[in-house]
Amino acid sequence: MNPAVQALITIALGVSGCVGYFYFSNLVLDKFIFPARGTNAGRNINRANMVRPWLFLLPALLALGFYLAYPVFETFRLSLSERLPGGGSRFVGLKNYDRMLDEPKFWEAIKNNMLWLVVVPAASTALGLLVAQLTDRIRWGSIAKSMIFMPMAISFVGASVIFKLIYDTRPVDQDQIGVLNALWLKFDGGWGSTLMLRIVPVVLIVIFVVAALWFAWSLVRPVFSSREKSGGVLLSAVRLSIGVVALWLTWVSVGGIQSVLGTELTYGAPATWLTIKFYNNFFLMVVLVWIQTGFAMVILSAALRGIPEETIEAAIVDGANPFQIFFKIKVPQIMGTILVVWTTITITVLKVFDIVFAMTNGQWETQVLANYMYDKLFRAFDWGVGSAAAMVIMLLVSPILVWNVYNARKEMK
Amino acid sequence: MADTTTNTALSGPRGPKPRKRLSRGNIILYSTLFVVCVYYILPLWVMVMTSLKGMPEIRMGNIFAPPVDIEFQPWVKAWAEACTGLNCDGLSRGFGNSVRILIPSVILSIAVASVNGYALINWRFKGSDVFFTILIFGSFIPYQVMLYPIVILLREAGIYGTLWGLVLVHTVFGMPILTLLFRNYFSSIPEELFKAARVDGAGFWGIYFRIMLPMSLPIFVVAIILQVTGIWNDFLFGVVFTKPDLYPMTVQLNNIVNSVQGVKEYNVNMAATLLTGLVPLIVYFVSGKLFVRGIAAGAVKG
Repeated sequence: MNPAVQALITIALGVSGCVGYFYFSNLVLDKFIFPARGTNAGRNINRANMVRPWLFLLPALLALGFYLAYPVFETFRLSLSERLPGGGSRFVGLKNYDRMLDEPKFWEAIKNNMLWLVVVPAASTALGLLVAQLTDRIRWGSIAKSMIFMPMAISFVGASVIFKLIYDTRPVDQDQIGVLNALWLKFDGGWGSTLMLRIVPVVLIVIFVVAALWFAWSLVRPVFSSREKSGGVLLSAVRLSIGVVALWLTWVSVGGIQSVLGTELTYGAPATWLTIKFYNNFFLMVVLVWIQTGFAMVILSAALRGIPEETIEAAIVDGANPFQIFFKIKVPQIMGTILVVWTTITITVLKVFDIVFAMTNGQWETQVLANYMYDKLFRAFDWGVGSAAAMVIMLLVSPILVWNVYNARKEMK
Repeated sequence: MADTTTNTALSGPRGPKPRKRLSRGNIILYSTLFVVCVYYILPLWVMVMTSLKGMPEIRMGNIFAPPVDIEFQPWVKAWAEACTGLNCDGLSRGFGNSVRILIPSVILSIAVASVNGYALINWRFKGSDVFFTILIFGSFIPYQVMLYPIVILLREAGIYGTLWGLVLVHTVFGMPILTLLFRNYFSSIPEELFKAARVDGAGFWGIYFRIMLPMSLPIFVVAIILQVTGIWNDFLFGVVFTKPDLYPMTVQLNNIVNSVQGVKEYNVNMAATLLTGLVPLIVYFVSGKLFVRGIAAGAVKG
């Protein structure tokens, strides 16, 4: 059958089903259960109006119950049970989790996910903020913005295909088509290479560390000082744990600087980028940052525009330079928005699946949790461990989830 | 003293402040922007250029150069001839599937969600608060957690691996976030209008169709954009809930690119990527600012 015809039939059926349901259920309510006549007409109208919203929400409630609530609990149950040979399942306690913890691939996925979690939201938010700030000042800023936002319209898979071309490798004796290799072959080991491949990365890492430490310090400081209020115990714990993460990041970065300065680079030979262990994770992250920056940019640029002019003018009168205005006047005022952007991207990162699936499929130590789960569920058909992995994702997401729900409730009240 | 300062102020330079074109700030500004642009635009540029070249020209290198002879063959091949497994009818099949998935799920989810949002905000009832919280949870919970039980549910219902199943899943999962979207928008419509209509004798549907609907066209556009781009670009549900014959376009794109037979045809891959992205890109260029709102609203969903 023609797809268009089929689609039309689906829509007609669906819509007429909905309308029919709404119409007839109302009819029944008004005419038979609480008829608006006789001695109790007024009371009946009121009662009917109290019941009515539930009639409209019933399909939605049923659908949500079936497809949202039940599956969450079912996944939890499956993660605690085991398939029996003849069909059916049996409760086995934490055995699935035990098996999962024994697998090196799982730990690899956790490690990589942590890496993604730190790098991608930070990079996307920082780049988005940078672009939002810079494009506000120039005439063709809106064009630049619309170009940078464009990757948001492309699917993750499409973006992965594009970047596969960029990372593409061909044999040594042929011309390189991959953009990265074409650039790479331009380096010959001279001073230019030293500058671009050693000094610039080290400077970038140092900037990252300083930014991370500054950010963490500004969060941790209230816990120790008696003047500022640090909030409750829970908040202090969150602040301290962010501080610990920052210290860990510093440690990792120092190792990174060492390896950047220490590795022998094979100039003149094309590299297969996606198979270089550890660093290939970053090549995959570049794809997600490429997509998500547009989102961060749009939201942050709106927030930047919302800053009252007076505060900036006052700072200029006081003799602040552009950097001080940006970091001390603008950033603190949009901190709330930055956090929202950050957490939104964090959730996206925790569920990242398409990119890894399309580019490496978890080979060469690039596994992430969502892809690990997919592997277990739909390739190994081991739904015990797969569900356990799903619960781990849920566990990692839930702090942000709760925070988001809390905020959304507050905002929409 | 006071006199001299006022004097200098009056006799000082007038007119607009002279602009230095090559000040230090400007150099930093433009060089940063240039680097950023290279990162964001270069991949798109390379994609378009490669898709218009023939394979011999691609093999010569020169990736950044525009094509010498513009070839549309790769586009034709990506659309109608590229192979995935045993099927060799290119992306056209996936396109048809995606359309068949897209249209019903967009219309159904928006129809149901708008009524729900309206019922939530204007007909306050006992328990609406609980329902509201459930909705927020529903829109934020990651899909991964629910994946496998839904496969079982659909299998029991006999629609696993069919387009109907996928339409159902998209409709249900789009609903929480859309309901919140509509609820927020409807809450900004003055309550007096609603009350006046009730006094005039309009019922539930009368108010919805004659007052709410005409006043909330922008939010409907935003919702359509959110759903169209979200469903069109979806990969996870497509790969999990359908069978190879019914794969949506994104899944087919991945299969075409990753099929290992023969030489890698970069131009066909890039053309296929562009073809797959065409629908959201057109929506983007047509709708402009509203697109941004749609994406921003959808960014939080699970």
